[in-house]
Parts: sequence; C-alpha cells; structure tokens
Amino acid sequence: MKKAVDHTKPKRYGMVIDLDKCTGCGACMVACFAENNIPFKKDESEKLLSITWMRVYKLSNKKKYPDTDICYLPRPCMHCEGHEGHSPCVSVCPATVTDYSTETGIVSQIYTRCFGCRYCMAACPYHARYFNWWDPIWPKGMEKMLSPDVSVRMRGVVEKCSFCYHRYQRAKDKAYVEGRPDIEEEEYQTACTQACPARAITFGDLNNPKHKVYELKQDPHAFRLLERLGTNPKVYYVSSREWVRKSGDNYLRHEEPGHIETKH
Amino acid sequence: MDSALIPKGVKRCSLGKFTLVIAVAGAVLLWGVYAMLLCWIKGLNQTNMNNYYGFALWIWADLAVIALGGGAFFTGFLKYIVGKDELKHIINYAVLIGFICYSSALLILAIDIGQPLRGWFIFWHANIHSMLTEVAFCLTCYFGVLTIEYVPLVLENRQLNKVPFFHNLAHNMHGIMAVFAATGAFLSFFHQGSLGGVAGVLFGRPFGYREGVFAWPWTFFLFTWSAAAYGPSFTLMCTKILEKASGKQLVKDNVVDLLAKISGWMILTYIIAKIADTIYWALVTAPSKGHTLMDFYSNNPVYGIWILVLEIVIGGIIPAIILVTPRTRRNGYLRMAAIILGVIGVCANRWVMVLQVMAVPVMPFDFWAMYYPSWQEVATTILPVAYGIILIALSYRYLPIFPQEPELNPVD
Amino acid sequence: MKIDRRSFLSLGLGVAAGSVLSPLPWKLTDDLSIWTQTWPWTPVPKDGAVDYVHSVSTLCSGGCGIQVRKVDDRAIKIEGMEGYPGSDGKACNQCLAGIQKLYGKDHIQTPLKRIGNRGESRFAPISWDEAMSMVTDQLKRLRTEGKPQSLGCIVEREYGTVPQLVKRFAKAYGSPNFMTMPSYLDGYEQIFKIMHGREAIPGFDLENADFILSFGSGLVEGWGLVPRMFQANSLWKEKGVPVVQFEPRLSNTAAKATQWIPINPGTEAILALGLAHVIITENLFHDDFVNRYSARFEAWENGEGTKQKGFKDLVLDRYDPRYVSRVTGVPSSQIETIAREFAKAENPIALCGRGAGHTPGALYEFQAVHALNGLVGNINRKGGVWALPKPDYIAWPDPELDEAAKKGGDSPRVDGAGTEAYPAASSLTHRLPAVINDAEESPIQVLLVHGANPCYTLPDTEAVRAAFEKIPCIVSFASHMDETALMADVILPDHGHLEKYQDVPAPEGLSVPVIGLARPVVAPLYDTRHVGDTLIQLARAMGGGMADSFPWKNYEECLRKTLDQHWKTMEEKGWFSPDSNVGKWNETVETPNRNFVFIPERYGKDTEEAGISPIQVEGDSITYPLVMIPFDHIRIAAGPVGNAPFVMKTIEDTLLRDKDIFVQIHPKTAGKAGLEEGVLALLSTPKGSAKVRVHVYDGIQPGLVAVPRGLGRGSGDEFMADKGVNVNRLIGPVEDPVSGLNAAWGIRANLTIA
Ligand SMILES: Nc1nc2c(c(=O)[nH]1)N[C@H]1C(S)=C(S)[C@@H](COP(=O)(O)OP(=O)(O)OC[C@H]3O[C@@H](n4cnc5c(=O)[nH]c(N)nc54)[C@H](O)[C@@H]3O)O[C@H]1N2
Ligand SMILES: Nc1nc2c(c(=O)[nH]1)N[C@H]1C(S)=C(S)[C@@H](COP(=O)(O)OP(=O)(O)OC[C@H]3O[C@@H](n4cnc5c(=O)[nH]c(N)nc54)[C@H](O)[C@@H]3O)O[C@H]1N2
Ligand code: SF4
Ligand code: SF4
Ligand code: SF4
Ligand code: SF4
Ligand code: SF4
Ligand SMILES: [Mo]
Repeated sequence: MKKAVDHTKPKRYGMVIDLDKCTGCGACMVACFAENNIPFKKDESEKLLSITWMRVYKLSNKKKYPDTDICYLPRPCMHCEGHEGHSPCVSVCPATVTDYSTETGIVSQIYTRCFGCRYCMAACPYHARYFNWWDPIWPKGMEKMLSPDVSVRMRGVVEKCSFCYHRYQRAKDKAYVEGRPDIEEEEYQTACTQACPARAITFGDLNNPKHKVYELKQDPHAFRLLERLGTNPKVYYVSSREWVRKSGDNYLRHEEPGHIETKH
Repeated sequence: MDSALIPKGVKRCSLGKFTLVIAVAGAVLLWGVYAMLLCWIKGLNQTNMNNYYGFALWIWADLAVIALGGGAFFTGFLKYIVGKDELKHIINYAVLIGFICYSSALLILAIDIGQPLRGWFIFWHANIHSMLTEVAFCLTCYFGVLTIEYVPLVLENRQLNKVPFFHNLAHNMHGIMAVFAATGAFLSFFHQGSLGGVAGVLFGRPFGYREGVFAWPWTFFLFTWSAAAYGPSFTLMCTKILEKASGKQLVKDNVVDLLAKISGWMILTYIIAKIADTIYWALVTAPSKGHTLMDFYSNNPVYGIWILVLEIVIGGIIPAIILVTPRTRRNGYLRMAAIILGVIGVCANRWVMVLQVMAVPVMPFDFWAMYYPSWQEVATTILPVAYGIILIALSYRYLPIFPQEPELNPVD
Repeated sequence: MKIDRRSFLSLGLGVAAGSVLSPLPWKLTDDLSIWTQTWPWTPVPKDGAVDYVHSVSTLCSGGCGIQVRKVDDRAIKIEGMEGYPGSDGKACNQCLAGIQKLYGKDHIQTPLKRIGNRGESRFAPISWDEAMSMVTDQLKRLRTEGKPQSLGCIVEREYGTVPQLVKRFAKAYGSPNFMTMPSYLDGYEQIFKIMHGREAIPGFDLENADFILSFGSGLVEGWGLVPRMFQANSLWKEKGVPVVQFEPRLSNTAAKATQWIPINPGTEAILALGLAHVIITENLFHDDFVNRYSARFEAWENGEGTKQKGFKDLVLDRYDPRYVSRVTGVPSSQIETIAREFAKAENPIALCGRGAGHTPGALYEFQAVHALNGLVGNINRKGGVWALPKPDYIAWPDPELDEAAKKGGDSPRVDGAGTEAYPAASSLTHRLPAVINDAEESPIQVLLVHGANPCYTLPDTEAVRAAFEKIPCIVSFASHMDETALMADVILPDHGHLEKYQDVPAPEGLSVPVIGLARPVVAPLYDTRHVGDTLIQLARAMGGGMADSFPWKNYEECLRKTLDQHWKTMEEKGWFSPDSNVGKWNETVETPNRNFVFIPERYGKDTEEAGISPIQVEGDSITYPLVMIPFDHIRIAAGPVGNAPFVMKTIEDTLLRDKDIFVQIHPKTAGKAGLEEGVLALLSTPKGSAKVRVHVYDGIQPGLVAVPRGLGRGSGDEFMADKGVNVNRLIGPVEDPVSGLNAAWGIRANLTIA
C-alpha cells in the first residue's frame, strides 16, 4: 500500500456541484447516511441536533411573488486546504484528531481519538462538523444494515464528511493488488456523487487535467463558499444565476462577486 | 468548640452559624454535583448546546472565572516582581480566589468535553498549533503553582503548624514564593493570552478573528491585559463581600486604594487598546471579508449593538475613569460601583468572544440561532460558586488569610 | 507500636506517593480511555464477504434498476443499476433508503387476524393454515350466497403478473370489481381511447424533446420515473432546452424551469386552448399532420348528421388570448410568445398531470394539452409523445368460468367504470367509498387489497374509513403495516421488496417498452408468503373452475412460464425490451381512417355548447375564503408506502417540525389572517380541520394554502407515524362529468390562528 502511494504525485480531491442541475431531492444526503452509518433519531426536525455530513441548504433570492426564486445548495465538508493545509478546523484541534492529508487533500477525523471539545466546530464556518450528542442507537434488527467499512462513532465525539475515505482506501488496495501504481478517476467516487440522480455532483482530483473537475472548476460561473475567509475549500459550485453566486459569500454593498481579491 | 483551629487574635462567628452557611452552600453544591453526574452519565444531550452552539455557557464561565482569577497572578506579580510590598496584606486572599477560579475552570472543562475519560489525549496527542493545547498545559501548570502558593497558607493553620515538618515546609515555601509567583505570572501571561487566541485564530469566524504578531492574534494580548486589569478588581470585590459578611474591615484602605488604582490604570490602558482593536477590526478586518460592523450586531433577537456599549463604555471607560481619578476612587461607593461595572464588563467581553462568535451567521443564507442554557448547565455553572463560598468560609475561619485583621479588629 | 500524628501523616504521604509512582493509575486511565472507544453499546459492524445483487425495485410503481451491496447475508446499501432503461445507474432518495424498509419495525412478520375493533390495530399472529381457511370460508360463503360480484380487489397498478393474477382471481371467482388506484395515467388512458381510438399507455421521449411545456407537472417532484426525470432535466440544462412551468406555486420544478409562469389553479385547460388559439391564428400548426392525419380540426358531421364545429372554430370562437388571460391570470403577451416558441420548436412536448400525478384531473385538461401535441404533430415520433401498446407479454389462456362466474362477471362494476356513464374508464376507485356509504348493505362483501393503500391515498379519508367499516371482510396482502392493513380482518403478508421475484413492466412514462425482473436479494426474513403463491393456493382451495384457472405449482413457475424464453435474459440482464410495434405516429392511431381526433364524438357536443368552464372546487367562498391545494415534495413519499427513517431525516424544518406540519401561504394571506411564520393555525375545509403551522412563502399565489402530501401516516415505525397531517383527510373528490375521474385540484379552506 505505502509503496503504491509513494509512486503517485499528491492529489487534491474535490467536487464541482452544478446548482442548475441540483433539484434539492436529498438523495445525496440519504446515500451518505447509508454509506457512512449515520445514526437517526425519532425526531430529526431539529436541524441543529441532526447529524447530516451532507446537508442540502435552500437559498432564496428574497424577491416578492412572482419574482421569487429558490435554489438548493448541497454542502458536504469542503475539505478546506486553507493556506498550505492550514484548514480552519485542523489547526485548532488540540489532540491532532483531524488532519489535512497532503497525499489526498482530504481532511480526516479519528473518532477514537476525539475527546469532544468541539473547538473544531467553532472553527468551521460551514457547520460541516457534527457532534454526537446522543449514543447512536439502531432499532432492534436495523443494526443489520450497518456497513463494516466505516466505524460507528460513539457518543461525545465530532464527526464529518470524509469524502468517503474508505472508498479511496478500497480503490487503493485494489490498484495495489493489481500492481497498478495509481487509481483511475471512476475507481474512487463518493457515495453522494454516485447517487445524485441529477448528476449534479462531479468528484475527482482537482490537480489532474484528465479529471472532469479540472475543467469544470474553471467555469466562469464557478465559485466557492466563503472564499474571502481564506478557507480555500475544495468544493466548487456552478450556477448560471447571479443571485445564487452572490449568496456564496459576503459582499459589501458596492462589491461585485468575481471581482474580489482573495488570499488563495 | 472548634476554637482550637481558629487563628490566634481573631474572632469568628459561632460554629452553629458557620455550619448553617456551609449547609446552605453545600445544598447548592449538591444540586450542581447532581447535574454534573447527569452530564457525565447521560452525556451532553443534557445541555441545550447544539451544533451551532458547541461552545456556550460553560466555556463562557471558564473564560470569565479565569479572567477574574487573574487577580492572583497579577497581584503576585506586583508584590514579588514589581515589589509593591503593601499588597502582602491581600495577596493570600488573591491566591485563594485564584485557586478557586482555576479549580472551577478545570472542573467545568471536565464536564464540557464529550469524552471526559479521554480528556488526557489533549496532552498525549498534543497539537502544538492549537490554542487549546497551550491553554491546557499552561492552565494545568499554573493550577499547580496556585496549589503550591495555597498550601503554605493551609499549613499556617494553628494545629497543622504545630507539626514541625509542616511548620518548616511552610516557612521554606514562603521563602521561595517569589520564584513561584514569577513562574505563575509567566504561565498566566500565556494561558490568559491563548484563551484570547482561541477565538482570535478562527479565521473562519469573522466576528472573532483578529490579525496579530506571529502566531498570536491581538485578542491574545487583549485577554492577558484585561485579566490583569479586571482580576484585581474582582479580588477587591470579593474582599468587600467578605468584609460585609463578617462585619469587619479586613484590609486597610491604603492597600485597597493602591490595588484599585492599579486596576483602574490597567483598565484604562486596556480599554484604549480594545477600542483601537475594535476600530481596526470594524474598518479593515471585517470589510476585507465582506462584513460591516452592523452585520455582527443586527438581526439578533435579544441584544443588538448594546452588548458592545456594555462591554466598552459601561464596563470599561466608566470604571476606568472612576478608578484613576483620586477623588472618585477614594469614595467607597463609587469605587465599589466601578469595580462591579468592571467585573460585568470583562464578563460581557468573554461572553461575546464565546457565544457571539458562534452565533453570528457566516454563510449569507444561514441564520442567527438562539440559545439558552438548560438547568443542568446552570446548576453546574453555579456549582463552583457554592464551592468557592465554602472554601472561602473554611479558609477565612481557620487560616490567617488577612494579616491586618487582628490589628484592625482587636479582640479584647 | 503507637502511631503518633507524625508517623501517621508520613505514612499517608508515603502511600500517596507510592500509588502515583506505581503503574496502576496510568494503566487504569488508559483502559478507561480504551473502554470509551469500544463501548459495548456502540455497535461494531460485522465484516464479511462483499457481493452485489442486481434487481428491480418494487418500492414504488416506478420500477428502477437497483444493485444491492451485501456483506455476507446482510443487505447494506441500495444503489442504482448501470444501464437499466430509464433509471440508468440512479435511484431516488426513497429507494436509497430502502434497506430500512427491509429491516424496519413495520415489516409484517406473520399472518395476522384482527382481534380489536376495525382500525383499532389490535391483531393476533395466526398460522398460515388458519389464515388461509378464514379467507376461503368467506369466499366460499359469498359464492354459495350467489353474489360473487360482491368480491372487490384493489391493486396499485394494472400491469405485471401479480396484478394480473389478482384480476384473474376476480374474474374466475365471478367479479368485475378489479380496481386500480387513481393516477394521472388514467387521464392519458382515456384520451388515448377517445383521441387515438386505442388502448395505450403514454410514453414521453423527453430526452429528444427540445421544448417542454408543463401544465403543473412536478417533473422533478415525483412525476414519472424519478431517476429518469432528473436525468432528463439535467440533459435539458446541458442542451439548453427551454422548460416552461405553469403553476400557482414556485415548486422545485418551477424553480428549475427556464421560466415559471404562475397561473390561477384549475385553469390549465383554458390556457392550453389559449395557446392553441395563437398557434391556429398564426398558422403555426403542423400542416402535414393536421390536414392529412387528423379529424375534426375543421367542422364535421356527427352521428345524426348535424354539423358540428371543428376544433379550430371552437378555439377561435372562445379562447382568445385576452379572455384566456383574464381566466388564467397569465398575461396575453406571454401566452402569445410561448405559443410561438412552442410551435416553432422541432420536438415540443406538452405535459400534464399535476404534481407527482397522484390525482388524475379533468379529462378536458388532458384533451386540451394533448391537442397541443397534435397541433405540432409531435406524436409517436422521436422527441414526441407516444401511445405505447399496453404490455402484452402475459398470454394466459382465459380462465375457466362456471355459471356463477359468468353471471357475476356480467354484473355492472360497483365503481361505475366502463358503464354507460363512463365508457372510457377502466377503474374509478375513488367513487367506491361514496357508493358503499350510500348503499344499505355494502355492495362489496369481501375486499382483497394488494400493493395499494386506499385508506391513506384516496381523497376524503374519513369517508373511505366509513366505507371500509361497512365491508364485512377485508383481506390485506401488505408486507409492511399500512393504514389499509390496519383496517383488515386478515393480513396474509407478502414478502418485502428485496425478498421476492416479480416482473416489473412499463416504467412510468418511458418511451421504450421495458420489463424488469425483481429478484430476492436476501431470503425472506419472516414467515411471509409471496402474494402470487397465496392467490394460487386460495384458488386451489376454492376448487372447480378457479383451481383450473390457476394451474401453476407456485408463483415462480407461473412467472418463468409467462416470461418463457425471456427468462434467461432477464436473469442475466435484469430486464428485457420487447420490440414494440410502434413506428410512425399514424401506425398506432386506430380511429376511423387512422386519424388523430381533435374532438371525439361523445365529447364534441358538450364542449361545443358548454365550452370549457374550470372545474369548481368544493366549498363556499364565504365560510372558506381561501383555497387549499395539496403539493408534492420529493422528500416526502405520498404513495402507499411512506418515508424510511433516512428520508424523514431529510425533510426540511419548514415542512415538518417535531409533529407539526407546515402549510405555505403568501405574506399577504398571512397578513390578512394575522398569521406569522411558525405560528399554530387551524386549517379547515368542508372535509375537516387540522392544527398546522404556518410557513410564510413568497413563492405562492395569494389566497392559496399549499399543504404537502404524504405526511400524517397513521401507521409505520416511530420515525414516520403520526407526524403532520394527511392532506387527503381535508380534501374530497370532485367528479369530472365527462370521464368520472377525480378532477379535484384543491378545495376551499379557511386558515385561522389557533
Ligand atoms: N488513545 C488511543 N488512541 C488510539 C487507539 C487507542 O486504542 N487508544 N487506537 C489506535 C488504533 S488501533 C487505531 S486503528 C486508530 C483508530 O483510528 P482510525 O482507524 O484512524 O479512526 P477510526 O475511528 O477507526 O475511523 C477510521 C475510519 O474512519 C473513517 N474516516 C472518516 N474520515 C476519514 C478520513 O478523512 N481519513 C481517515 N483515515 N479515515 C476517515 C474511515 O471510514 C475509516 O475507515 O486509533 C489509534 N489511536
Ligand atoms: N466502537 C469502536 N470499536 C472499535 C474501533 C473503533 O474505532 N470504535 N476500533 C477497532 C480497531 S481499529 C481496533 S485496533 C480495536 C482495538 O480494540 P482491541 O483490539 O480490543 O484493543 P484494545 O481495546 O486497544 O486493547 C485490548 C486489551 O488489551 C489490553 N492490553 C494492552 N496492552 C497489552 C499487552 O501488552 N498485553 C496484553 N495481553 N494485553 C494488553 C488492553 O488493556 C485491553 O484490555 O478496536 C476495534 N473496535
Ligand atoms: S442528490 Fe443531487 S440533485 Fe439531489 S439534492 Fe443532492 S445534489 Fe441535489
Ligand atoms: S469545511 Fe469545516 S470541517 Fe470541513 S475542512 Fe473546512 S473547516 Fe474543516
Ligand atoms: S472535538 Fe475532537 S476533533 Fe474537534 S477539536 Fe476537539 S478533539 Fe479535535
Ligand atoms: S463525500 Fe461521502 S461522506 Fe462526504 S457527503 Fe458525500 S457521501 Fe457523505
Ligand atoms: S422511482 Fe424511486 S422509489 Fe420508485 S423505484 Fe425508482 S428509485 Fe425506487
Ligand atoms: Mo486498529
């Protein structure tokens, strides 16, 4: 495994999500729940207590009828690169639980090490981190659906989207066994990407010109959430609608999206 | 009945009355302990915290008591390093209060984390880039120092002191106390600062984020400074309370006046720095991230811009002016008013630096979530107060905390 | 030795120091932390051999290709099956959570018999033998009493061997009362009969269409095959295909559309004819099609030889854009531009069927909209609307009918379908409750229900319950507990959707005929029995002609024989596509001289005299100043089966909060009623009232109250049950005078602060 890794140049896995295509169906959320053993409670309508690694936000142009418009925005973990891997959440974790991988660009999380101080949640402006306020409980019989690929998280620790890291591990192992130095684009796709019925999500290595995301992220209508903070996220969004792009960041009255100097 | 334990030359209330006080405080303490056990056994679902308020009442309480406990290191610093010898008459009490504040802070932290039994990972898997790591280490070390500063006091107890070993131990420790005071001051400068850094380094949270020098954002220095400024005020406040409770003057006016004056000047200089910081933040930092000052203070169901006024004007400028002006400072009532305002001011500052940092929506399509603590949070936050009262009561009754007391209240 | 204070203290210190220096506390600390990482009550998923099983989902009538990830004998996750026609590698949010239905609490585990009162939901487990004999006794009783026609059977959809076995059972038994559940497809079925003159199901070649005109269809909200519609929608985005959505509310579909045009609810047909007016006056219609292959565009003579207005004059006389604009609220300028764009496109398609298509709507609505497709000649050709032959791969010999069966079979249907009044209708199940409630004794004595959940999905839930109260014997084949099963006397549980073989034909709206094969992903978990086997065994128990009509050993044999030479392909590929006889549009029009009929004989008269006046909804405008419209949301399953826990978890807090449902109203409407965001209010209609919360929404026409469909389930697990309100409880059916279909698009309502 290690050898296979050494032979390959660093990757920066990321996403480009087409907000014109996204219908807000939530299939990506469901796929993520099923893929990553996300627990569920009797009442999940209190969203501030609900664990959703992928969360689909509803945006509105706040105009009056009939000029009203809405748009959905799926929000996984942005796997922020910050400045040279200085992600908002990684640098603050006192116990080195979470880490920015220079091999994959994935921000990891070791649940067995997290002691639940929640400093990382304070650091994340995207609310992509979730705390296990309760013990995860599966009704009798339902624990049968748990996937062995992802460890179940205990009460009192923080969890978040992993870009389905175990799928990367699986692809890597396969490649290694078959003696290939590297994995192909389609070999490692996240569960939400695979699931999206609208094919709105594209996933791949942002560094690799052969991967679709490489082109897509250069779309003139592409933007990232809260770029101005310098979080340097690896999830891009594309929208043909100006008001949507403007909802992606904070702007002063005179400012225009796309014409702003950002640190990264 | 327990007179054998009571220091020579001072008078104490009857054991019955004393027991009553302890009993009442004890009851409150038990309530807090019950809530604490609930949080440990059932988990943090016992609180009203949520994924938008991962930091809430508890972290605020931590920052507040640590700021207020700052009286210990700063008074020590003034006495042992700067050489303000009068302060020896109040240093014991300052140390005691510091000890209470810091032990409380550590206790609350132990309840606040989701995996208390793994709390030690913060040392084991320490990440040196994290402000919390710095806090954890300095906090623990400094608590050790405070203990070392408090122990000789305990050993001063009439009976314990009879044991030659303890007598000598206490004596020798007093001898080298300056060293510990220096260490304490040094450690405090850091952990007070890193507590400020906790919010200051959050570049994803424009409300808390500040530029600075090297790894340290401006809040790092502002926190140390404010702790040094307001801590002594809190010491004086507690002294006043104890004087009221015991019905005796315990410290001479010149000592109080000196500490109040120093506190005043510190608050004044701090608040100037704070104002400068706020202006730079409002005019440069925030706009660079697309925010205007009012973004942070509007759309809030409860407090608008007033929390800023409370923190800077009511809790800063006003007490500063009162305490630096000799005439107003010497007026007991005004002085106490200023001290109380100051304490409120620093608490308000810690409040915004914790809860408002969490609350202010950063994503334009996000909203300002509200939070109010559950009874379990309140109880566990009051717990330290009860514990403090008990420890103060015991210490005051059985230890020679106030050297000037016999002289000020001769027993005939 | 005497221990003085000093030695005592030093001893204490010694112990303290000693224990701190010993490894004990450190070991304990470590073990404690390790314990927190392996808490026995935090499950550790078992690892095992990984396998993928291909199947076709029967979770909804959709029928999408799925692949199920298994670890040993556990089903872990459902994903889409690559290359499956329509869904092609994708599954919708409902199916992705389907595993939770398999392992969920509401999966029925054994045959049950009612022990409490009807609907009290008190059941006792019984053996299959006991259950079967209970049902056979009832069935035998009816026949000996000589009223086999009072057997009723309700299924969700008509096609496939399972529904056909039910139909066959009814026929052999001697009852015409085989009923399917209402849907917009009933509307299409009828217009194909009267405008194309043939039995057909609709296919929409949306992938090749280049202009989409949707009259309130929730194209990305459950209308058609969800995964297919989503991919079509994205394809339109890539190709820049214009999508125009007429709807009184900014639905997700409207938000995705190139253009959302708010319209007064219920006036869709008028609008369609207004568009036709522009197309005709500006001569933008498809000459070749209209002149050579259509009938009654121009004036015509009816049976009695009297002259009748043609479609052209009818439209020109009555549906001037200015008039249409007044009725529909759509500016005439917009009507004109859209009509032109539509007509000038290569392959423009006009669609109808409101929302997810759970209710049919008025027939003239379908006529008017389909007439647009006729005008542009975009029928049965690439990128157009197709009239596909109904699946015909099931070639069973006619059942043996004894005397009783013949007699019973000839008696009129209880729901009136196919009778003089509603010749073109094959099922009018929504009429059943009224008929039963009005009758002295219920004309249905024994009711078999499979795959359908009428007690939840039919309008006017109270009336439905009342009617079911009157039916002496209700038998449910539900695999999961639902509102209808709760009303049953006996439950003969079917296998769950991942536990059985079944053919799944005709994916909704697909323009190519497809037959899929659902197969067992896991062995049945409980003591359940395939409904096919149950029916075969019941027939055998009935003996005589019935037994002879069901010659198969078991369902699997029946299925294999039916699919015959295709079985192998289906086992391997999971599906096969019978080559359909559909070619150019006119090859499938079987009306006199193979013409597309703009105005069918029977309806010509009505329309000419009356013209088309919008269907009036129930209730008076004084007591009920507002109008309630149900709406479909993709995160809420509104069909017979409700949301799995994972899908419940995705429901926005502006639709459901704890147990409270949110209704959507315009700020003006809220202002008038003194209502604010989030407040509790009382929503009342002529059918009933319910406590709701208010969501103030700019994207809805003032005066309307939009209520999400699919909540307020009276059964199921704790994650789904008793949350929100079932909108069907607040709305009743409104009969379309022409077709008998349920034309209700809303109901008058009032919303007051609670
Ligand atoms: N104090 C203490 N520390 C320990 C241990 C202990 O017992 N005590 N155990 C040690 C042992 S044995 C192990 S194996 C580790 C367990 O720590 P890890 O194995 O690193 O973490 P796990 O909690 O097992 O979660 C691993 C799973 O987390 C998921 N995951 C989510 N996000 C990411 C990501 O971005 N990167 C990675 N790598 N995984 C991600 C993946 O699905 C992966 O399968 O902890 C080690 N640390
Ligand atoms: N819920 C949950 N379960 C998990 C995991 C998770 O992340 N979450 N992680 C999984 C992983 S990755 C791992 S590696 C396992 C780890 O779990 P285990 O394999 O059970 O290892 P530990 O629990 O770390 O230690 C097992 C026992 O060994 C004892 N022990 C320690 N040192 C020694 C020694 O030198 N000799 C002997 N004889 N005993 C010793 C410890 O005190 C402990 O009682 O847990 C797995 N299970
Ligand atoms: S699955 Fe795709 S379309 Fe549905 S919400 Fe997620 S991203 Fe949007
Ligand atoms: S999105 Fe939040 S959690 Fe994810 S990397 Fe960025 S800061 Fe960390
Ligand atoms: S909660 Fe866990 S991951 Fe987050 S900072 Fe604290 S220890 Fe690190
Ligand atoms: S990438 Fe994986 S973990 Fe992240 S949201 Fe998508 S499915 Fe969930
Ligand atoms: S439409 Fe959705 S639920 Fe129905 S079969 Fe297809 S994927 Fe499954
Ligand atoms: Mo491990």
